[in-house]
Amino acid sequence: MSFREKSAWISLIVVLLTAAAFFLHVPWTLRPGPSPGLAHVTGLFLILLVLIDLIGRILVFVTAPKGGLTGKDERERLIDLKAARSAFYVLLAGNLLALPLVHFGADPFAVAFAVVLSIVVAFVVNYSARIYLYRRS
Amino acid sequence: MTQQELAERVGVTRQTINAIELGKYSPSLEVAFRIALVFGLPLEQVFGYESGDGES
Repeated sequence: MSFREKSAWISLIVVLLTAAAFFLHVPWTLRPGPSPGLAHVTGLFLILLVLIDLIGRILVFVTAPKGGLTGKDERERLIDLKAARSAFYVLLAGNLLALPLVHFGADPFAVAFAVVLSIVVAFVVNYSARIYLYRRS
Repeated sequence: MTQQELAERVGVTRQTINAIELGKYSPSLEVAFRIALVFGLPLEQVFGYESGDGES
């Protein structure tokens, strides 16, 4: 398994775990409407996500065989582009579905969570597509 | 020559050389020419094209 595929696996697992923790915990502890704790918890969630991802990548980097780490070549750049394109459509669809909820009287708090959810799903699609494309070729 | 050695000389990863060998990835013309250059052979002797109707 290449360094970049391992990185994609780590990022996918980190996103799934932190997003699960976020969505299982936050919506039930914060009350609907403007909440002073929302920005704090969301910020904490993002910092945690970046930190765990960084630690995972450092571990993969340190344990990688000598000479196994090089810059991205054309095949890897193509994989990145294809994965990003898939994630873009998911993000776009998620936001297009979430934002009109405001017109139907949905709580802005719920709309914000729907947008965050679409971002998380887009990340999951991005990393899953990368893993699939790395394994296929 | 190992895949790793060829990859280093061409400037791609070993996984990309493996994918090219298995026919799972078609390299750009630039990489194809670099591979041919490493072997000192013309491009058509290193790479072939198989069309859908079986002609090559």
